[in-house]
Parts: sequence; C-alpha cells; structure tokens
Amino acid sequence: MKTYKYLLLLLISISIVGCSDLEEKPVGLLAPDGFFQSTDDIQTAVDGSLTHAINEKFWGRKLSIALMLRSDMVKLQSTQTRRVEMDELTTLPSNGMLSEFWPKSYQGIAAANLAIQGAADVEVDEAMKNPVTAQAYFARAFYYFHLVRQFGAVPYLDAPVTDAEAAAAIIRTPADEVYDNIIADLEYAKQWLPNTQASRAIPSKAAASSYLALVHLTRGDYQKAFTEATEVISKKGDYNLELDPNFQNLFNAEVIDGSLEPIFALDYNNFEAPNNGYDQITPMAGIRGDDRNSGGGWSVAVPTLAVYETWPAGDYRRAVSLDEEASIGGTIEPFTNFTISGHEHAANRPYIAKYSRFPGPFARGNARATSHNYSMIRYAEVLLIAAEAAVEIGDNASATNYINQVRARARSGGDTQTGAGIPVTIGASDVPADITGTVTVNDVLEERRFELAFECKRWYDIARRKIGAEVFSASGLEGAKPGFSADDYLLPLPEDELERNENLTQNPGY
Amino acid sequence: MKIILLNHKKFLIHCFSLLFLLTCVSISNLSAANHESDAEITIDAKPVTGTVLDQQGQALIGVNITKEGSTLGTITDIDGMFTLNVDEGDVLIVSYIGYKEQRITVGSDSNYSIVMMTDSELIDEVVVVGYGSQKKSDITGAVSTIKSEDLNAFPVLDAGQALQGRAAGVVVQSNNGGEPGAPINIKIRGNTSISANSSPLVVVDGFVGGTMPQPSDIASMEVLKDASATAIYGSRGSNGVILVTTKKGKNGDLAVELNTTFSVQNTANKLDLLNATEFADYQNQIRLNNDNTTPYPQGDADTDWQDQIYRSGNINNTQLSFSGGSEKMNFYASGNYFNQQGIVVNSGFERLTFLTNIDAQVSEKLKLGVNLFGSRGNKDGVTTQSDGSVTVGGDDVISLAMRFAPDKAIKDENGNFTTNDAIGDEVDNPFAVATERVDETVSNNFRSNVYANYDILDNLSFKTTFGLSNRSENRGVYQPSTLQITSSAVDGRARVTNANRTTILSENYLTYNKEIGNGNLTLLGGYSYQKNDTKAFAAAGTGFLSDAFSYHALGTATSLLQPASSLSEVEIQSQFGRVNFDYDNRYLLTATVRRDGASNFAANRKYAVFPSAAFGWKISNEDFLKDNETISSLKLRVSYGVTGNPSISPYQSLARFASLYASRNGSTVFAITPDQPANPDLKWESSYQTNFGIDLGLIENRVNMSLDYYNINTKDLILGNNGIPEYFGFQNDEILTNLGEINNSGFEVSLNTRNIVKGDFRWNTGFNISFNKNEVVSLINGADLFGNAAPSYFSHDRSYVLREGEQVGLFWGYNYEGVYQGGDLPSGTATLEGGVAGDPLFTDVADVETGEFDGVITEADRTIIGNPNPDYTFGITNDFSYKSFDFNIFFQGSQGGEIFNMTNVQLNNGDANTTRAYYNSAWTESNTDTDSPRVGNNSNREISSRFVEDGSYIRLKNIALAYNLPTSLTDKVNVGNVRLTLSAQNLATFTSYTGLDPEVNYFGASGDNNTSSNTVQGFDFGNYPTVRSFSFNVNVRF
Repeated sequence: MKTYKYLLLLLISISIVGCSDLEEKPVGLLAPDGFFQSTDDIQTAVDGSLTHAINEKFWGRKLSIALMLRSDMVKLQSTQTRRVEMDELTTLPSNGMLSEFWPKSYQGIAAANLAIQGAADVEVDEAMKNPVTAQAYFARAFYYFHLVRQFGAVPYLDAPVTDAEAAAAIIRTPADEVYDNIIADLEYAKQWLPNTQASRAIPSKAAASSYLALVHLTRGDYQKAFTEATEVISKKGDYNLELDPNFQNLFNAEVIDGSLEPIFALDYNNFEAPNNGYDQITPMAGIRGDDRNSGGGWSVAVPTLAVYETWPAGDYRRAVSLDEEASIGGTIEPFTNFTISGHEHAANRPYIAKYSRFPGPFARGNARATSHNYSMIRYAEVLLIAAEAAVEIGDNASATNYINQVRARARSGGDTQTGAGIPVTIGASDVPADITGTVTVNDVLEERRFELAFECKRWYDIARRKIGAEVFSASGLEGAKPGFSADDYLLPLPEDELERNENLTQNPGY
Repeated sequence: MKIILLNHKKFLIHCFSLLFLLTCVSISNLSAANHESDAEITIDAKPVTGTVLDQQGQALIGVNITKEGSTLGTITDIDGMFTLNVDEGDVLIVSYIGYKEQRITVGSDSNYSIVMMTDSELIDEVVVVGYGSQKKSDITGAVSTIKSEDLNAFPVLDAGQALQGRAAGVVVQSNNGGEPGAPINIKIRGNTSISANSSPLVVVDGFVGGTMPQPSDIASMEVLKDASATAIYGSRGSNGVILVTTKKGKNGDLAVELNTTFSVQNTANKLDLLNATEFADYQNQIRLNNDNTTPYPQGDADTDWQDQIYRSGNINNTQLSFSGGSEKMNFYASGNYFNQQGIVVNSGFERLTFLTNIDAQVSEKLKLGVNLFGSRGNKDGVTTQSDGSVTVGGDDVISLAMRFAPDKAIKDENGNFTTNDAIGDEVDNPFAVATERVDETVSNNFRSNVYANYDILDNLSFKTTFGLSNRSENRGVYQPSTLQITSSAVDGRARVTNANRTTILSENYLTYNKEIGNGNLTLLGGYSYQKNDTKAFAAAGTGFLSDAFSYHALGTATSLLQPASSLSEVEIQSQFGRVNFDYDNRYLLTATVRRDGASNFAANRKYAVFPSAAFGWKISNEDFLKDNETISSLKLRVSYGVTGNPSISPYQSLARFASLYASRNGSTVFAITPDQPANPDLKWESSYQTNFGIDLGLIENRVNMSLDYYNINTKDLILGNNGIPEYFGFQNDEILTNLGEINNSGFEVSLNTRNIVKGDFRWNTGFNISFNKNEVVSLINGADLFGNAAPSYFSHDRSYVLREGEQVGLFWGYNYEGVYQGGDLPSGTATLEGGVAGDPLFTDVADVETGEFDGVITEADRTIIGNPNPDYTFGITNDFSYKSFDFNIFFQGSQGGEIFNMTNVQLNNGDANTTRAYYNSAWTESNTDTDSPRVGNNSNREISSRFVEDGSYIRLKNIALAYNLPTSLTDKVNVGNVRLTLSAQNLATFTSYTGLDPEVNYFGASGDNNTSSNTVQGFDFGNYPTVRSFSFNVNVRF
C-alpha cells in the first residue's frame, strides 16, 4: 500500500514540472513578426535609420573627421595611424575609421529598407503613410549618396535581406546605377514629404529637393542641378527657408533651432546614448588647455595657417569659423602662443571655432555629446549649387545673383565672440560683396570653401571637381601631400568586407 | 556531557568576543542537541578510555568511536586517545576513513589499545559522480578529487581559486590578479570552444548551476573530465563538471569548529617608472625627436602614483560550524564572515555566508533532506583592466597609476584634482579616480534544495529533488563632480543596475541494483526540468545637487538617462540514463545517455542526444597480479562520448530588432533597427572525447599514480561575424553560425606518494602536471579569425588570430627586428612609412605571389608573433609532519606560455610615463647599440613581437607551518583540538617576465557575465596586482 502512495508522490512530482514545448517567448525584445501595424511603427524604423548617422562611427566623429582630414583645409595634429592615413591620403583597406563608417552607413540603409518593407504591411491609406515612408526613402538616399561618393560602386540593397546566401555573393552595383537609385528615392521623397516638418532634423520636401540638386551637381548634370536648386529658391516661402542674417547663429547650439537656414540637420541634444550614439567633433577640433568646454579640446583636427592667411580678414565668416585667441590657464593667449598649454599636439594656429564656441549643454567632459545641430545641407549651399550650375550652363546673371547673396551676408559684418569669450563686432568689409563680371567655377568653389568651411563639404568638392593634383600640390593649403594620386578620389572597400564576399572587387590603387 | 556543556558556554563567549554573528537556526540546533544528549546520560555508565593506533604504532587523530545503537560517540584526540561512558557489554564501533571498521565489545577492562588496519583497498573512497556515487576503484572515467584540506590550505574568497595547481587537467587562473571578488578562469582540458565560454558546469549537492560555496563548507570537490563522467550532463558537459559536496553532520555528539584567519597583504611587485625630472627630460626628448620645440611644462611635484594607490591590505576570514546527529538525523550548519581590504585604496570585499544541511531517515525506506545556502557579498570596487571604450581608460586606476605624469601633484593650487593635460588623452589622476569614484556591488545568493529518497524495493530506489535558487546583484556607480574630466561637466553621473536570476530545478530518478552471478548491475534513469529566468534593470542620470547623494538619489538628477530592463528565460528538460556493470570486480562497463531539450536551441534543433561509454579493467584483480607485492592496484580505463556546450544565449537564433535612442524634434525617443536575422538551424557545439587512463598503486598503495590521455574534437563551433557581410546592415556583429572545429589533446599525470610513513616524521608528496595542445582544425572558409584585446583607445583592430592548423589565440602583429640605424634597410626588414634612424625595424614579409619585398611595413607584414598557450601547468605539494607540527609547501606553475605586455605598449608610446629600463636603453645618436627604439617614434604603439615575453613561472603559492596544541594544555582550558597555522601565499614567483605578474588575462572575462573567454589569453594590461599575503590561522574544535 505504502509503496503505491510513494509511487503516486512520484507521479505528482513529475506532473508538477510538466512538459514544456520549449518555445521561446522573447518578452521585452523586439521581434519582427507583426511589428508594423501603424504609421508610427514606420516612423520608429525611420528614426532608427537616421539615428545611425548621429553615431560617433558616422557623423559623430569617424566620417566627419575623416572628411575634414582628407580635405586641404584641416591637418592632423595627433599621430594615430588610422587618422594619419586619412590626412595623408595613404588609406589602407584596414583603416580603422573606414571600418566603422562603412557598416554604420549600411545599418542606416537596412533600417530604411525595413521601414519601406514594413510600410507595405501597414493597412493605412497611402496619403497617410507615404509621407512617413518617404522619410525612409530620403534616409536611404542620404546614406548611399555618402557611400557612392566615397567608394564609387558599392553593394546596393533596396530591401531587407531574405536570401542570405544570394545576398552574400552580390557584386558591386556600378556608381551610375547607384546614383539613379538615389535620384529615384529622392524623387519619391520629394513627391510625398510635406513642405516643412516640425524640425529640420526630419526630412522635408525641401530637404529632398535640395539633395536632388546636390546629387545632380555631383554628377555634373548641371541643367538638372540648376532647375532643382532654383526650384528650392523659388519656393523658399513654402519651404520656410531664409539665409540667417547672423552667420554665427548657424553654429550656436542654443539658437539654431530657430534659424530658417538649415534644410536638413542631424540633431544632437546633450544626450549620451549607449554605443557611442553621440558626437565628439567639438573636442577633436578643440584647443588643448582651453578653459572652455570642461577640459578643452584634444587638438586633433587643426586647419593649416594658410587657411587663415588666405581668408580675407574682412570676411565675417573667418571670425566665426576660426578661433584666433583662447583662454588657456586663465590667460588670454593669441594663437601664436597656443603651445603654452605644453601639450605635445598643441599647435600655434587658429583652431576650428564652429563647434567649440557655442556647443550648448554637453553630457561629457571636453564637450562630448553636445547639443549641436549639424547642418547636412543649408540654404546658403543651395544658392551656391544654383550659382555653380548657372556658371556651367552659361547663365552668368543667375550665377552672379546667387553667389552674391551668400557673399553679401559674409561681408556685412556682425557680432560674435572670440575663443576667449571676448565679444567682438566685425564691421562691414571694405571688399564689396558683389562679384561683377563673369563668375567662374573657381569663384564658386572658393566661396563654398569659406562658407562651408569645416562642414565636411570640401573633400567632396575636391573629388567631384577632380582638383586634387592642384590642391594637394606644394602650393596647396597644406603643402604637398605626396601620398595623393587620382586613385584617392575613392576610398578602398574595407578589407574584411572583401573577405566576406569574394565577389566584391577592390578599388584601383589599393 | 557536563564538560561539553561547559565548553559551549565558554565557546559562546569566544564567539561574541569575536563579534561573530550566529543565526537563530544555529543556536536552536545547538540547544536541541544538548537536550537530546543530556537525556542519554546513564548513571551506571563507566568511563572507558582507549588509544587508537595505526599499524606502525602512530596515534590516529579524529577516529570515530560510537556506541552501537545510540548516538553516543566521540573522536580521538591528537594523541589518539578517547574517553566514552559505556556499560559492559556495549559494542564500540571504531571507524576511520581508509581503515577497516572494528567492533569491540566492552568487557571489564576500562582501557583499550586499538590498532586499525588499513583497508586492503585504500583507494576505495566513495567518489561522487553525476546522479550518484561510486567506489573510486570502480570509476571508469577521468575524475579528480580535491580534498577539503587542500581547499582550505590558505584563505581564498572563491573555492575555485583553491583549485589552482591541485588537479591534473584543471587550469585555474585569476582574470585580474588579486582583485577582491575578481572572477577566476577555470578551464578543464583546454580550450574546447572559440566563442563560447570555457567555464565548467558547477553542481553543488546535486544542484546544477549552483553557486560555489566557500571552501570551508566543502567536504569534497570532484572534477569530472572525460565524456564518460560528464555525458550524463549532456549539453552542458563539454567544459567538464565540478561536483561540490558540502559537509554533512555525522553520528555522534555535537561537534563545533571555529576557524579564523587573519592575513596581511601587499603588492608583490611594482613597476620601476620615471620620477618627475626624468619624465620631463623624456618628454623633451620626444618633442625634439618630433621637431617640436615647445618644452614640456614640468609641474613642481614629484608623485609616485603607484604608491598613492597601493596600500597594505588584509583578509579576515572567520567560520563557525556545528554538526552532529543521530542515526535518524544529522545536521551541519555554518556561518562564515569574510572581509578583505584590497591593496588598491578603496577596494574591498565583504561576505557573509550561511549553510545548513539536514538529513533525516524518516522511516526505514524514506530519507528526506534539505540543503540551505545563503550569502551576501559586498564588493567595493575600483576599475582595473578597463577596456577604455568610453573613457579612454580614464577610469582604470592601475593603468593610470603607470601612465600618469609624475610631475603632477594630487591636487592643484585651487584644490582641484589634477589631470593629465600635457600629454596624451586628458584623464583624471589615479588617486582621484580610486578614491572619489564609488562602485559598489551587493550580491545576494539564496539556494534551497529539498530531496526525498525512497527505497521502493530492496534494490530499487527513487530520488526526487526540488531546488530553488535566487541570485541578485545590485551595482551602483557614482562619478562625482570632483572628477574633472570624467564628470565635472555634468555635475556627477550615477548609474544603478540590478540583475536577478532565479532557477528552479526538479530532478527525479530511479536507481536499480542487481547482482547477476559474478556481476553487479546498476541502472539509473531519470527526468530533469530546469528553468532559469534573469531580469535586469538599469537606470542612470547626471547632474546632481550634491556629490553626497552618491548613486542613491537618481530622482534628483537634472538629466535622467533612459532606463533599461530585460527578461531572459531558458527552459531545459532532459531524460538521462546510465548502466554500470561490474563483472567479477575485474571488468567494468559504464554507458550513459542524456537527451536535452532546451528553449534556447533554435526552432529546428530543440533536442540533442549525448551518449558515452567506458570500459575499465582492474588488472590487479587478475590472478597473475593478485598477489603481487609491488603492484597493489592497477586499472586501465578507456572511454568515448559526446558532450555539448549550449553556447547559445536565449533568443539568439531568432530574428530580432534592436532598439536605439534617436533624437526626434529635440527630444529623445526610441527607434528600431534590424539586429540579426533568424537562424532556425543554430545548434549547440559538440565535443567528441576519447580518454585512455591508467590508475596504478604501488607498495601497499604508498605510491598512487593516475595517467590520462585525452583527445577532444569540438565540432559545430558557433562562430560570429564571419560569413555575413556588413552591408547586410545588421546591428549585431555577432551573428552566429555553426561552422568550425577545434581539437584539444593532452596528457595528465597525478602522483601521490607517502614517502615516509614510520616514526615521528612523516612526509607525503602530491604532484600533478597537465600537458594540453590545442589546434584550430577548421574555420569558416578557412579564413583567419581576428580579435582585438587592446584598450579601445589604442586604436588597434587586431591583436590575436585564430588560424587553421595553429593553436588558439596566437598574438598577431609585426615581427620586431631591432632598431633601424639609418642608411640602407637590412634585407627583408623595413620601418613604417617615413621611418628614420632609431625607429623600430620589422620583418618585411615578401609578397606571396611575386616574392618581392615592398620595402615598407604595411598591413600585409603582420604575422603570428607569439603563443600564449602554456606547454604544461603543474602543482607540487609536500606535507611534512613531526609530532605536533606539520609543514606544507605548495608550488604551482606554468611553462611555455607567452605574454603580450600591453602595459609596455602604453608605457613606450610617449604619451605616458615610462619604465626606467626603456628610458635608459632607448636609441639615441650616442646610444645606438640597443634593442630599444628611440623615444617618441611613430611605431611604438604598434603590436609587435617586441612586447612578447615568456610567461613561464613557478610560484611558491603557499607555505604553511602548523602546530597542534598538546591535549594536556587544551584540556586545561576545556577545549578540544587547537591548531595554529602560520602561512604565506605568493611569497616568491620565479619568472623572467618583466611585467608585474605573469598570471594575467586582460580581456579574459568575456562579456558582462564574467565567464571566461577561450580565445583571449596572455594579454597584460592594467591588471590588479597579484598580492603577497601572510596569514595566521586558528582552528579550534570543541
């Protein structure tokens, strides 16, 4: 009898634990099945796409600093190999900056593709969801535009990977085809996006149209660039765009939100997100021993003296773009004495001021994780695109009109403060704002160089205009860069990516 | 009995004077036992005395003497003497491990001299195996047993540490030197995986995955090594299994034991770095070498930062235990207090542990038992071995103390902590970081395990166990605004994280035993279910009104960072079975099988089966050897089996999105991005292991030797980040696939000898040595797999490699060829681009296709530059005893493994302080005959063979002298045995390694769960130094 009682106990104890089907129920994790239900869900994926651009691996540092160093206006002060390779145009396929912004670009693209695919599952009227989905098209074009300009032909995916084996064996899509896709995406975005958005960090019709102008310009399709840029200019009322009367405002994190000039921006807001989801441009460009910004800067990316010396003194933008003095150890020092900090990387040259002067609240020492809004494209650039395209199509009147709008602001003076925090007023320049006679391509490029200095535009100008042989010669702003050859207009594809897909070829010269 | 009571009172006074906390449970156990004993006092009983000796006439200490049919009993003292009140006609049972039990009927004599005979099969101790126990002589697998004495030879926080050098095939290494509470790395038989961790499965009193109790509560530890022993644990068996058995009460009077140790600790070593003046000169030389004419702005202080952060530490470890029982019931209860002040200022560990085991024979057929364990640990941490990912190493006190400018004072003239503002990355000073930063971890552990064992038939029993364990860990970090670089900009930064893991376990199995002719058959079959769930929560904020809030006022943060929480669940259900057949005590057969189903396995691979078989031949029981005088025992063992390594985290095989913080219209929102694709075929890794073993006993088993050879092939290795191109755009770069194979093979020898067994002087020796060789057999597409174990601010991408046909985790970099003297480059060598005289020369590897040298050092010139895998590791212990004294000396070592001295990479690269050795030997135009390149050259930070050193060492791990107080003295103060021990740990290390200590493992703890990485080995950076301790121990038995 007793035996049975215990056998019963046995059965009970086993039945308590029961049998599980061993299915996983990932509560709290984001499972793809059935995720996309509403337009908000599409927006969530779009936000995911664009936030990759904010990351330290992309605009936060790796890409932005690489673009600055590769240009002829910013010289490297530190000795880190991966930066030396960028500065001296001796980049190897193993470069440690490359290996960060390559995957980051594609993560942005994958999230955009996810949003576009997910939108198909959302059963909402097109008029409701397409304006949201259009942001994803814009984001995808934004990333591929960076990629195609850096690498030329690249692997092109326009949907989430379903057949991994096939996708792992694709070849590089020719650059022209990538450009066609970028243009198609931007056209779709332009069709569906509203004229304006609540923030310039959300893609708008103005952003799509302005980027179309820049893409056409980059391809040398000047008529289309002109048409597109002038369309933006003519619709500036609808798009709520205007040159900001105070050039300093564009680099003042506290007031930039109110400015009408940015068209598309990456918005940092004093937040130190995990996985380096914040910016470090300010410390990279900052002055060693500077009393500002909680520890000063790291003096990594510093313009050459020639940049300062070739910049007309009457140009208000010079006072905004460069720090000619700073407070170091409590004393105001001119740039000729910046090495007083004693730091090995300190240099006696004016430093980039666009980021250090008004970074707004920041979350880490040295002004890391700032509140800056970095303009990816702003109204002044659209004017200069129109001017350059006008020169190319022989419309000198338009070219003069557009370039002089930009020059006028730069030469009318304004208020700012020095790197030591001393308020200064720059008077109107003696040099007349107006270019008279025939505007040349070089006029526009030089204007772009000053207007968009240190905004990571210069390298792309050098590359699209193929002026490397000239600007990296001994007479260039940084002196001779012997490492330069025409192959350097394109970066190498990351070495490990070629190992993963043997069908990918390397760019010539690497 | 009265005497014992008196002792208890005295004892309690001792306890309180030691400020020792007793649990109510323990006190009530104590009084209950007294009560019971009092009832048994009979007036007629007469005192019987006796002496128990061994065959050589030596007194045996601790022999159990019990009165048959009662709970009455005692043990012999240091002189082998005992006294017991019994009646004439009572039967005394005299028992001692390793000796034959004797029964003596009490006659008219009141004094007995008892000589114990060694059991003919001394090695017939019972060994715990998975789901049961076996006589040691019947074991067919490779199993090592570590005795309680060895685990308690010196104070350690974790019993795992005490395993070091004690068992063949078991390599124990501290991942972070002497850090209080630091994780340790235990590997059994090599690196059997690449991406999965190497930590063995720990089973405590049958609880799979239990927390290791502290050493003094452990009765024995069995290390199961081959598949025959571990396959019963199926998918979790491939890293080996450590079975821990905690102490249980024995029949007899209440036994009370007090054990207390006090240790003083100091750094074993310091680096010889530059003082302020030399440092300024060094920096100026660097500047001149780089055409920089700005002089180094030398500060007016001269600070030895190592002295500022190191101090004398200490350990206080006190344990009190009670045990006892009757035939129907026995119990063991203990409390332990461990307190360590680390040798780095502001580091320490405090822990309180309780353990209770109670077993009750409820009826003739039913036995019930409960096992309770609870501990609370409090770690006060400083950051060492930081990976530098966020803070450019600004949180790592050890590496800071080495690199920080010595010409800086602790505080500047404004009373602020100084920063490194003239060289390298600007960071806070190490003293500020060590003393200002708060980093506290409180962990609570609770485990309860209940079992019932029912004998259904004489030879069929059923055991069911149910266990519940909970582990919670709360960590709070506060970086106050006084840290200039780290947190002054944001007015303090606080973070609180919490993780809570609950495990329930139910195991049910039947054991059947039958004699068949000359054979003996044992069958085991059962079912097991286990569920783990882990919940985690984290929150952080910046901007506090006052640093005084520490991390306890997140609500007052002016900026709250996004909180995070997660849930992860794993269910495992298994069936297992085992057959043991012993024919004529000569031929042994063991076969096991386990079928595991686990929720974390991918959809198409939910179940896995793991079989094993083993055969043993006791040759010494064959007629031709039976009467051999030299060979007392000889057994051959052979086994083969498959075990698994689950190595798949929950949800790892599912398609997943990751969440990101995005900025939207000026505020922070959540966003998603593709994280990883689904892999419904992802499965566990499988290890196929063959083992050959010989157990040999010579000269009445005075010499015992075990020799094992093994070969383990691990297949279906789970590897990440390979075949999947980055242009797929998945955020997770560890997307897993089953590809790859790795092999480990090796020899293990363990030898125990009783060298001198007669007379007052005794000498025993224990020796073990393990040779392991691993080889990467195949990788995805045969492509090399690279990894990086350098701080992220070094900006390296690769520091080690896995390559087919090579050993695991080889160092990867340039091959150093000495200093370039200018002029033509020596053939086959080159400098980095732009190299000048004084720069390092590296091997210029010829182009594979053209065979030409390109004359410059590039990516393609990197090669294998070192091997961290040791050829062998060993331990040797000698025990000597002379009358009341005994002496132990224990060496442990490792031979042939190389170390990559990452510390020197940093200390040579110019933006840090440096070693005097480098400063004095660096190349200059007047000092060209040197192997050290000029200061401030552009390739000092490159990973090259210049920094690879031999990491072989022999360490005098422990040396101890113990004295047992004579009974004449202890009797006077009414205590039992008193033993005093003086010991020293890590007193000497013999090595040619120039860094702080050769036992290093930077990046060795993989992931956030402190499990040990298989592939990262031998990197030295910012290690918490190994400490030298002097300990005094008092052990009192009442």
